[in-house]
Parts: sequence; structure tokens; C-alpha cells
Amino acid sequence: MKPPVLRCRHVTKRYGKFTALQDLSLEVYEGEIFALLGPNGAGKSTLIHCITGLAKQSQGSIEVLGFDTMRDFRTTRRLVGLVPQEINYDPFFTPLESLMIQMGLMGVEPNRERAEDLLKTFALDEKRDAYTRTLSGGMKRRLLVAKSLVHEPRLLFLDEPTAGVDVELRRELWQEVQDLRAAGTTIVLTTHYIEEAERLADRIGILHKGELLLVESRESLLERHAGRSLEDIYLELIRKADGRHAA
Amino acid sequence: MSTVALKTLFIKEVRRFSKVWLQTVLSPLVTTSLYFLVFGVALGSRLREISGVPYIQFVVPGLVMMTMIRDSFLNTSSSLFQSKINGTITDILVAPIGALEMLLAYVGAAMIRAMIVGSLVYLVALTFTWFPLHHIGWTVFFAVFVTATLAMLGMVAALWAEKFDHLAIFPNFVLLPLAFLGGVFYSIDLLPEPWHTVSRLNPLLYMVNGLRYGFLGVADVSPVASAGVVLISFLVLLGVASALLRSGYNLRS
Repeated sequence: MKPPVLRCRHVTKRYGKFTALQDLSLEVYEGEIFALLGPNGAGKSTLIHCITGLAKQSQGSIEVLGFDTMRDFRTTRRLVGLVPQEINYDPFFTPLESLMIQMGLMGVEPNRERAEDLLKTFALDEKRDAYTRTLSGGMKRRLLVAKSLVHEPRLLFLDEPTAGVDVELRRELWQEVQDLRAAGTTIVLTTHYIEEAERLADRIGILHKGELLLVESRESLLERHAGRSLEDIYLELIRKADGRHAA
Repeated sequence: MSTVALKTLFIKEVRRFSKVWLQTVLSPLVTTSLYFLVFGVALGSRLREISGVPYIQFVVPGLVMMTMIRDSFLNTSSSLFQSKINGTITDILVAPIGALEMLLAYVGAAMIRAMIVGSLVYLVALTFTWFPLHHIGWTVFFAVFVTATLAMLGMVAALWAEKFDHLAIFPNFVLLPLAFLGGVFYSIDLLPEPWHTVSRLNPLLYMVNGLRYGFLGVADVSPVASAGVVLISFLVLLGVASALLRSGYNLRS
């Protein structure tokens, strides 16, 4: 087995008295699509934030390709891309300018050709010089994905990229995810659409109240629970965990 | 340190205020020019000399410094706070950018804006009352260190603020009163006690008088004392802003 692209060891994250992540350990391997599932508030975004630098874990360590995300943050952030859950955009800049700026921020010399290629890939080339605020919701979402790819990350996080997105765009986004994986990018995604995880993911992790309940390949998980859908398996695990917490 | 990231963030910040130049450059220029017209030209012709210089010249450095103080503060505070509110700060936080690059880029861009507006105010004043700069060295020193200090104060305010009202406290209830009471329009030698002594506790008095010495060669406070206060303010703000950025205060959860 190839060495992990991502290694989380005993990661705990507390906000005051609230524990968002509890002693979480996880490995993600090169070239795979890893789906992180869990109800709202399970800690999925918190984990992604700890890895990408938006938050700092209270305990434990996180490594990307062997580099510590706290100690070697300049290296790990060059290796990681993030599509955040919330749509954000800078009203001062056009899509083309936004991509050029993001390249520079990621430490890559801004390259107009690369920016224009990304605009074409995400069907934004006709809006390249428009004010970003005039873009539709779907276009803004696609711009976020394009921005996350400007520095050609080895590990890409998609934090609920299809939340509130129409069917057509959702299909386009997942096709793009598969293309990225085919090009060698490792992908970690969170989604509330379990059927999407079932279709796309190589491995699945289920997170609940800050604890990883399960990490398993999609194939073996479905094989173990023959005849049942991932959604049924997911709901059963969550209910069992809720029962344990209540007891 | 990533020089590409530093350069990009600096250029981004300069382009941000350039794109809204009516609001960021022209508006303060017009406001300050009106102050100059009212206090310097209209009232100045009826006032006698202050500290041995015509009143119309006396108010010029004060107005230039007041403008630079306000604009350097507003540039960093509004940019950083808006990024926090609209979520685009994420673009910087996930990038390989350290506290030093953030500080240099934001402060550098704010200084550029403040210097542009300050220079324009000075040029407008020269059309009414021409006078050469008395001491270019002190002028540059105070312009550079005061704008850098206020830009860092703007960053600290933006990091601390959680709503627009918080941010408005500084320019409206701290900087503007302190600038007005810091000898922009008068010499503190005209004040009776205890107000003369109280005025000396105002750090903006030293900023205004430092630049006034550079412009005119007269001031209520010696340039060395003013430089001392400005340098201490600079170092304190440098320490606070650096520490807050390094810790990720109100940026990284």
C-alpha cells in the first residue's frame, strides 16, 4: 500500500468545553476519493479546517505527505486545496483576476494561461471579466473549485460542494472530481447526499459527534451488508451511536 | 517567507483601494481640502501668526497628518474586516502566508494610500500658500512611521471587531477627537492649564507636531520627543499586531 497523503493522529479539537473532534485518527491514501459522512455538527468541517489551516487542533498531529501542518504549514498549504462550504467572493475582482490573485497567494507565480484554462474548464470563460458578484450561484461555486486548483494541489478537500446546487451542476462537479482523481489528485469530500458517496468514493468514513465510527472501503462495506444501501448502513450506525451516547 | 505571496497580497490590496478611488482617494482629498479652505483660507486671513508662521501655513501639516492617520487606519481596518465578514479571508488563511507577509502587505498598501492622499492634500495647499519643506528627513520619518503605526492599529481593530459598529469606534470616537485635540488647528501653547499638560498625553499631538516640524520648522514639541513617542507607538503596535496575527486571533478558530 502506498504511504498516506494525509495522516491524522489522535486529533482532538475543543471549543471551550465543547469537544468537536475526539481523539480522531485517520489516513487517506494517494489517488483515492475519500468520503467523510456525518450529520450536521459531526465535526466534518472542523476536521477539514484543522488540516487546511483554518483552525488549530487542541491535541494530536496532522501530516500531509509527511509534513506537519503546524510546523511545516508553508509546505502543507502548497500541497492542499480547499473548496469551502460557504460561497465567498471578492466583489472587487473579476473571475480572471480572482484566479490570478489566488495563484500568487498560494506562492505560484501568477500565470494568465493557466487561469484562462481553468476558466474554460469550469465554463466561466465568458464571464472572465465580469464582476464576480454578477455571477449566478452555480458559477460562483465553480469559481471556488477553480480557485482551489490554481496551485495544482496533491490533496483536495471539497466541503459539501453540492449543497444547494442544482442537479446539472452537481453532475458536472462530480465529473470534474472524477477527472481530477484520474489526473492523480487525492480527494476528500463531505456530502449530505449519501448516494453520491456510494457512487464516487473509494473509501468512506462516518463521523458522529466528533468520533470516527467507521472507516472502510465502499466495496467491503457494501459487501458486509449485502443487499443494503449505504444510506441504511449509515443511519443504523448513527442510531446505534446515539443510543450509546444516550445510555 | 513567500515573496510571491507577499507581492500578490500587497498588489491586491493596492488594487482594491484603487478600484474605488472616488471613495478612497478623492473623497478624503475633498473633505480635507474643505477643512483647509474654511480654517486656512477663510478664517486664516483674520487670524494672526501662530508660532511665527502664517495661520494658513500652520494648518497644512496638521491637515495632511490627520488625513494620513485616518486613511492608513481605514485601509487596513476596512479591508481586513470585510474579508472576515464576507469569508474571503479563507483565501489567505489556507495559503502559505505567515503573519509577517500579512502584516507587510496590508500595512504597505495602507501606507501607499495614505501617502497618495497626504501628498495630494499638500499639493492642493501649495496652490493657496507656497512654502518649501523645512526638513525632508523629518517629514519622511513621520509620514512613514505614523502611517505604518496607524495601519497596524487598523489591523488590530479589524481583528478585534465582530461587527461594523465595533470598527466605527476607532475613527469616530478615538482618532478624530484625538486629532482635533492634537493641535491640528492650534498650538497647545494657547491652551491654559491643565489642558496644556493634558494635551501632552495625546500621542497624536506628537504625530501632528512631528510633521509640522518637518514642514515648517516649528512645533509645540521637539522633533526628537515626537519621534520618540511615534517610535514607541510603532513598536507597541508592531508587537500587538504581530502577536495577534501569529496566534490567529479571531481568524483561525
